[in-house]
Amino acid sequence: MFLASAGDPLFVDGINFAVALAVIIKVVLAFAFLLVSVLMMIWFERKIISDMQNRVGPDRAGPWGILQSLADGTKLFFKEDLLPDRADKRIFRLAPYLSAVPAFLSFAIVPIGGTITFGHYTTELQVADPPIGILFLLAMSAVAVYGVMLAGWSSGSKYPLLGSVRASAQMVSYEAALGLAVAAVVLYTGDLSTRAIVTGQEGLLRHILPSWNVFRLGFVPFFVFLIASTAELNRPPFDLVEAEQELVGGFHTEYSSIRFALFFLAEFMNTITMSAIVVTLFLGGPDGPGFHFLRWLWPILWFLGKTLVLLFVQVWLRGTLPRLRYDQLMDLGWKVLIPGSLVWLLILGGMLISFKWGLIVLGISVLFGAALIRARSLGAQRVGEVGS
Amino acid sequence: MTQYLPILALFIVAALFAGLSFMASGLLAPYRPTDAKSAPYECGIVPDREPAERFPVRFYLVAMLFIIFDIEIIFLYPWAVIFKETASPVFLLVEMLTFAATVFVAFIYLISHGALDWGPLKRLRPMAPISPARTSESTVRRIRPAARDEAA
Repeated sequence: MFLASAGDPLFVDGINFAVALAVIIKVVLAFAFLLVSVLMMIWFERKIISDMQNRVGPDRAGPWGILQSLADGTKLFFKEDLLPDRADKRIFRLAPYLSAVPAFLSFAIVPIGGTITFGHYTTELQVADPPIGILFLLAMSAVAVYGVMLAGWSSGSKYPLLGSVRASAQMVSYEAALGLAVAAVVLYTGDLSTRAIVTGQEGLLRHILPSWNVFRLGFVPFFVFLIASTAELNRPPFDLVEAEQELVGGFHTEYSSIRFALFFLAEFMNTITMSAIVVTLFLGGPDGPGFHFLRWLWPILWFLGKTLVLLFVQVWLRGTLPRLRYDQLMDLGWKVLIPGSLVWLLILGGMLISFKWGLIVLGISVLFGAALIRARSLGAQRVGEVGS
Repeated sequence: MTQYLPILALFIVAALFAGLSFMASGLLAPYRPTDAKSAPYECGIVPDREPAERFPVRFYLVAMLFIIFDIEIIFLYPWAVIFKETASPVFLLVEMLTFAATVFVAFIYLISHGALDWGPLKRLRPMAPISPARTSESTVRRIRPAARDEAA
């Protein structure tokens, strides 16, 4: 089954006033949705974490402290914006943009529902549906590395510099694993467009399970993507970038006021986007049973519900797991996730041809896996000897 | 290219938001710099030297290795897109297996030389024996009661 991505049907007749208006409405809605959901997410995280730690958490601003993030954000506008002496001023000012703008943009490709029709125009419920789809997300997360790297580099201070070097090494390492997990999805869909990925997951698998990629691809790419995206976001247990005990605040130590707020905003926005992307790639996106009334509403509710579950998982990870050591982080990324997801991808390719080919690829992978384990122990020995 | 129009619009909105936030902060926030405020923050300790300009070579290794894998991934995407449509998937699979194996051999070589080992140095180099005749076995035998009798 080949699913051609036709793109958003809004643009079939070219661009006129109504289409431009629809684009503006969609963009402003998505923007507002993102900002509000970031405020809610910060509150949600603080509240859940405090429940897990037997604390009360924010409870003063608004009912259940729901307006706490809004109050904090407003406060940051009134704080002095410090520019360190030794900073490279131009890059220091540029870095928050490089962090915040990609965070907004990467949400553009997430399908949050089916299609909606007004007048004789039909549009998909997602900001944009470019044919490169999921590659756009990878591109944006690559640009975000520059924001973190340049922020630490231009601060002219010790801890931000260390934090940013760590951060860029960590983010590029896990980006490779991320890309390999996405490639498995692309292999089964035959298309890069996120809309095609979502429609490809409709229906049932062997009449029992929903035909979501998490089941079709055999869980491994799902968990690789989940771990790699957590590391890509620099969230606990992979928050070595801003390990307070070692690096004060990591790459944004020297940032204050609204510049700091933009980094914070970008971090939480990326968390929301990544959870939405996991839903899109592996959990069927807006797919789920609906009812005949309000037909357009159920996909959106399914999408929001699944995303909320994944956001809870992110908070749960933060509340549960201790931070990894740097060598554990690198070992996990390079020696487990990358070879594992590459091998799984090739096995999936073999299985698509026939069971026999799947077994052949599996056999070759076992040989290489043995070689990798041997190489690991050899490498550890050599490093130990050189270092003494 | 019209499919990219909303992305451009979102880019403008996001950049405007960031720019306007800076302007608002500039208008609302006080600006009273002092020497202490604009010095690099090191938890109260007065910084006395420039931050390091050199990094462990491992970071560069990671960067280079990332480029290799990223290029492999770039080649993987078109491969994955056409895999289901193509008339000869076996050829495609063998092709990609060869390619992946080539990259993987280089990767294994790097790992076996400890290129990606970051850990605390776990093992000291074994000390050279003081005399070739004195091994751990001879030492152990000497302190055993039976061995002591033999020696006496």
